[in-house]
Amino acid sequence: MTALMQPGFWVFILTMSGIYGIFTLGLQIQYGVGGILNFGHVGMMALSSYTMAILIISHGINFWIAAAIGVAVAALGGALLGLTTLRLRRDYFAIASIAFSEIVRYVIYNSDGLTGGVQGSLAIPVTGENYPSYTDTWDSIINRARDILTPIFGEIVDRDFVMAIIVWTTLGILLLIVSRVERTSWARVLRATREDDEVPAALGKNVFRFRFQAVIIGSVIGGIAGIFWGLQSSLLSPDDFLTLVTFYGWMILILAGATKVKGLPIAAIFFGFLYGGSRFFTFWPFSMLDASERAYVRIMIIGIVLIILMMSRPQGIFGKRQEMVLE
Amino acid sequence: MNNLILEVNDVAVSFGGVRAVNGATLDVEVGSVTSVIGPNGAGKTTLFNLISGAIRPDSGTILFEGLEIQNLFPHKIADRGIIRTFQGAKVIKRLSVLDNLMLGGQNNPGDSLVNFFNPKARKAYEVQCHDRAMELLQQIGLERFAHEYAGILSGGQRKLLDLARALMANPILLLLDEPFAGINPTLVEKLLEVLHALRTKHNLTFLLIEHNLETVMNISDRVIVMAEGRVIADGKPNSIYENQAVIDAYLGTRKAFK
Amino acid sequence: MAEFVQLLFNGLVAGSIFGIAALGISLVYSVLRLVNFAAGDFLTLGAFTTFFLATSIHLPFIVAVLLSMLLGVVISLILEFLLWRKLRRTGAGLLALFLVATGVAFVLRQTISLIFGGNSQKFDIDQIKTFEFLGAQIAQAQLAVLCCASVAITFIALFIKKSTIGKNMRAYADNPSLASVSGINVDRVIIATWTISGAFGALAGVFQGTVQGQFTNGMGLDLFLSILAAVILGTIGDAYGALIGGFVLGVVMELSTWDALLGGIPSTYKPVVAFAVLVIVLLFKPEGIFGVKARKV
Ligand SMILES: Nc1ncnc2c1ncn2[C@@H]1O[C@H](COP(=O)(O)OP(=O)(O)O)[C@@H](O)[C@H]1O
Ligand SMILES: [Mg+2]
Repeated sequence: MTALMQPGFWVFILTMSGIYGIFTLGLQIQYGVGGILNFGHVGMMALSSYTMAILIISHGINFWIAAAIGVAVAALGGALLGLTTLRLRRDYFAIASIAFSEIVRYVIYNSDGLTGGVQGSLAIPVTGENYPSYTDTWDSIINRARDILTPIFGEIVDRDFVMAIIVWTTLGILLLIVSRVERTSWARVLRATREDDEVPAALGKNVFRFRFQAVIIGSVIGGIAGIFWGLQSSLLSPDDFLTLVTFYGWMILILAGATKVKGLPIAAIFFGFLYGGSRFFTFWPFSMLDASERAYVRIMIIGIVLIILMMSRPQGIFGKRQEMVLE
Repeated sequence: MNNLILEVNDVAVSFGGVRAVNGATLDVEVGSVTSVIGPNGAGKTTLFNLISGAIRPDSGTILFEGLEIQNLFPHKIADRGIIRTFQGAKVIKRLSVLDNLMLGGQNNPGDSLVNFFNPKARKAYEVQCHDRAMELLQQIGLERFAHEYAGILSGGQRKLLDLARALMANPILLLLDEPFAGINPTLVEKLLEVLHALRTKHNLTFLLIEHNLETVMNISDRVIVMAEGRVIADGKPNSIYENQAVIDAYLGTRKAFK
Repeated sequence: MAEFVQLLFNGLVAGSIFGIAALGISLVYSVLRLVNFAAGDFLTLGAFTTFFLATSIHLPFIVAVLLSMLLGVVISLILEFLLWRKLRRTGAGLLALFLVATGVAFVLRQTISLIFGGNSQKFDIDQIKTFEFLGAQIAQAQLAVLCCASVAITFIALFIKKSTIGKNMRAYADNPSLASVSGINVDRVIIATWTISGAFGALAGVFQGTVQGQFTNGMGLDLFLSILAAVILGTIGDAYGALIGGFVLGVVMELSTWDALLGGIPSTYKPVVAFAVLVIVLLFKPEGIFGVKARKV
């Protein structure tokens, strides 16, 4: 319980929530506006973070360029997913998209030379040396930011604190941009395609183009989340990118009410607390469990919340009931 | 020849075993009002689906302003100026009535993502589009619903909205699938006036499916009769009454439609 | 040649397991319009309960398998009464069904993990006994699985085709509203559907556990995507299509590792192969192998 009293814990939760919030924002524009059921979103995060790490470690490329290329590769992944499967029925697309992210993970898992496979190359120390790190530039940026922030916030400022601020600033900016995009006539057309293909097509709108663009935008945002993910964990493993993670995003999205972005930050924090906080379920009856068992319980609880949420309040905490009824 | 805006040549399509349209041939003159009549299941709606590109024909050609369109995507056909309404009306239920209308705006710079960075152009268009939409809403008497979800509208109101949305798209050829069914007679009168005004002002061409023969005879320059996927008669409204094939296939059972 | 026979045989064994599991998913979809994301975890459940009953409590293996199948049915029915029925009544959409099914999968998998731990387990079955056939080494356990699976498949196929309830299932799947007004007992159809899916899901899990030798709590999940690929390949909702899809994918996945074929794809990429096949088929036939062009309404 004492862990809950420590500011460090809250900062950790905040950072996690922020990254998941960015991740979920990518789903929001796809599903909340376009009705696209993308269950392979975690694949974009995997693509960007691995691309960035590999470029920095194996090719010595500048951090900023590597991060940008990472996001671009995520966008490319979205394009590939869209071009091959976006014309399929909605449920087929959903399943095909899971397959997409699983394929990405399998390839990472099995391309030992490139990614380090199960362990993550990025974590294997060359004999006699330290772990090869892709976060050097980032660390120096963080340190500089720390020097600036410490006089303002005092002792509390550590690496995680700075990270939390950067992540949430990014989320804030992205939320602003996305909510602007969602007020354009582009979004109006996309919203129409969520219900019906024939009407927009009969009015001269190329339905596929709008959906495809939504998937790309979502993938770019997912890619940005991946960059932060990589920087936060500073060591990558294919098991960071299980389909489970996509479902975490979906849970946040439903919690927030899919059609509007405004509930998203709170839903993300709620999830972050559920996810990170359950690590500290050390009181009875959880005290009978060991650490790995508590990890099982954590995912189980998330499953139960997902079920209860969908059964009782499918429009989410902030969503409008009417939108669901008219569906 | 030059005054034909639409030419449908020997078009056929089947679904599984059903030959919904079975070698239909017809044409439409520029600026005319042409009505398609025929019993239920004659293939009228399917013909509209073919012309608008919603489905592709198994055989035959469709020419619009002299160019083949039968293999184009529906949005390309709409871009050329053929706009349709749907039988029973289709609205986007979770968009507001106003947004449904504004969806009809053509060449909207805001539809292109690049123009996200060009808010001036976007906003200028939106204002203009909004005003035009409100004007149309007034004409169909739905302005008090402007900001409600279209899903709450009644069947008749949805038809009006569908029609107005088609008008928003500045069509050259308007395909109307049973536009007046279920709308009260006074409003039909008013709509006919609106359509007539458009016709004289923009030289709009109409192809419409309608069951009420009185209306058909009053407003049409020409009537095409379909049965079992084919065109069985084609001519001036009053000549249709005298056509034996039509009497057998359709008019003989007229009471069934009342 | 020997390698080809070996892979073909392995493929048929894998295909028979995929087929049974795919059949369950496809039946549930056709009757309930539900993609059962928890189906993979029912396989795991079957394998682990059989392991527990046979190895720890020393029940005869057959009894253990039958009890596991029963448990699969009981849990499926509990979920039906607790969740699916209510969601159907409220007209839940695709996403709600997807996410609830996922939630169920989470809970089921973590419960299994909590009870049995994360270690791999194995049945008390002799995996080593093999005999030679056309140069290939055929394990007796594999052959037994193939035989039992064939019997199970024949049984399900006959049940759907010949029994009254099976006919009702098909009628209901084709047209729910027509079937309900024409006096079909819808509740019975749904219960029968879950019974088949629960029982044979567990059985498929036992088969897979036997073939693999060792299995962990992630077994069903690892298999699930390939099974789903089989379901879609055979057109989702088409029971026979699912069977054929299962066999096709089982064989293709095994053969893809054959050296003589493109140098052989590493066997860890088998699930990728399954999905590559699926995507290629869907590109040309978006409704699956046996699908008809959708009606536009
Ligand atoms: N998408 C479709 N799939 C299968 N059959 C169709 C489809 N569309 C129309 N039909 C069939 O084609 C025939 C003609 O239908 P339709 O064009 O709607 O007739 P109408 O509008 O003249 O009443 C009917 O028998 C109908 O059932
Ligand atoms: Mg019709």
